[in-house]
Amino acid sequence: MKKHAEATVKRHAHVWTWPIAGYLFLGGLGAGMVIVASVGDLFFGLGSFFIPCAGCSLVALGLGSLLLVFELGRPLQFWRVFSRERAVLTFGAWMVVCLMVLDAVYLGFWFDFVPWSGLFWLRSAVAGACLLLGCGVMLYTGIELSSMKARVFWNTPALPILFALSGLLVGCAGDYLVLCVWPYSAEFAVAAAGPEGGLEPVGGPGSAGGLGSAGGLGSAGSLAAVQSILVVCMGALSVVTLISVLIYVLMMYTSSTAAARKAAARWLKGAFAWAFWGGLVFIGLVIPLLLLAFGSGILHAGAALCVIIGGIFLRFLVVYCDDMRDLPGEALYKKRLPQGDEAFLKADW
Amino acid sequence: MTRYAMVMDTRRCVGCDSCTIACKVWNELPLDVLFCPVLRDGPHGVYPHLHMNHTPLLCMHCAETPCVHACPTGASRQDADGIVWVEEKGCITCGACIAACPYNARHRDRQRGVVIKCDFCKDRVRDGEEPFCVKTCHQRARVFGDLDDKHGAVARLVNSLRTERLFEDIGTEPQVYYIMSKGGQG
Repeated sequence: MKKHAEATVKRHAHVWTWPIAGYLFLGGLGAGMVIVASVGDLFFGLGSFFIPCAGCSLVALGLGSLLLVFELGRPLQFWRVFSRERAVLTFGAWMVVCLMVLDAVYLGFWFDFVPWSGLFWLRSAVAGACLLLGCGVMLYTGIELSSMKARVFWNTPALPILFALSGLLVGCAGDYLVLCVWPYSAEFAVAAAGPEGGLEPVGGPGSAGGLGSAGGLGSAGSLAAVQSILVVCMGALSVVTLISVLIYVLMMYTSSTAAARKAAARWLKGAFAWAFWGGLVFIGLVIPLLLLAFGSGILHAGAALCVIIGGIFLRFLVVYCDDMRDLPGEALYKKRLPQGDEAFLKADW
Repeated sequence: MTRYAMVMDTRRCVGCDSCTIACKVWNELPLDVLFCPVLRDGPHGVYPHLHMNHTPLLCMHCAETPCVHACPTGASRQDADGIVWVEEKGCITCGACIAACPYNARHRDRQRGVVIKCDFCKDRVRDGEEPFCVKTCHQRARVFGDLDDKHGAVARLVNSLRTERLFEDIGTEPQVYYIMSKGGQG
């Protein structure tokens, strides 16, 4: 009896827990990284620098998918998630898988031995598809939560926008860190710039406008220039995300629904206040802004790291804020439910 | 066409929890799962005019089912007669239906790794019997039947008395109707 009680009474107050928060973060990170990389490749001819980011995006999406499978009650049956055409989760699962495949194909342009590494038209097509699917994955994580009518803190169209902004922000930060730590060789940097190089801007060897062309940002010293563009993007996105987060929480705090007000109060001055003000706002947005504005070099890398920590806090805060509207008497009823540590459950019958 | 629904006459409900226990026993539910709890609210009023509200819950078998729409595997289903149920073989316990249900009517069965819920005792209903909670309710506070049967008890109650449905504003069209204790006069 004791063993049975311990096995069955494990009450979770939340519908989803840390694996889903991790999945949402890694999905946003992977999608954001590949979006920034694709934009850099398609519109600025900087694909040579960003292609390793596609590999990191692939790893992030893969880890996120593993977390999602880990959360399932029957992990080995995960393939069933692809079997229904109309559910948001099914759409999302297909998009994540397709993006992972495209990430792998895109990464292939980095290696000379891959048959398609020299096909520039294919690279631009893959980058374009990555851009579209990345946007889809980034938005879907927010849409999945906001489609839950029962959950007052999620059920708003503002949530996908907030997740998209945060996804782009952590994507920029992730790409920045990859550019910082990736061992680009001097030969590669030069090769990336010149018309004879193995990795050209999308326009091909003759394209003049790309930043990756000779004389543009694709010169040996261009890595710093690319990083400075990312720093500007991170700064701008941090400001917009900070404003959006504050508006979102204040919107909930002034909502007509009591449960939404209660949930927002938890963020502003309750149990989640330390994570919201300390983790998300201060570490995740304010400190990065200060470091980006007044720092340089290693401090910018520190800012990117802080942004990523803030992105993790945002997903955890949202996932654990799954409040529902209570019926009269429901709060009292929930309080009386067994938690699993009651004496009668622990007794050895 | 058959459209199963239930009427809860909360004027009759005394909060004895017979339905809760009957359901738990009949469906052999895990320790931490109840399909039909009875909520208590009150006492309200001023002595000696006091009253308690008892709200028996169960799956609302909504006409517009957010849980079925959220299910990525198709394991959550709704039959033509309106009964919403889970095909256990197809369920992977992703939690999407649990998150989507506004009535907290879906639960994880951690031992079997599936989502479980009230299915109006559909096996009993198909055999011509009432759901077990209805059969157990000695106060006759639970009335089950076909809403499309004009002469049936459910249709008569819904059409003649003022009834309420829980969270009607979110558009789920729940098929459990409540005759509230401080009302119900048509």
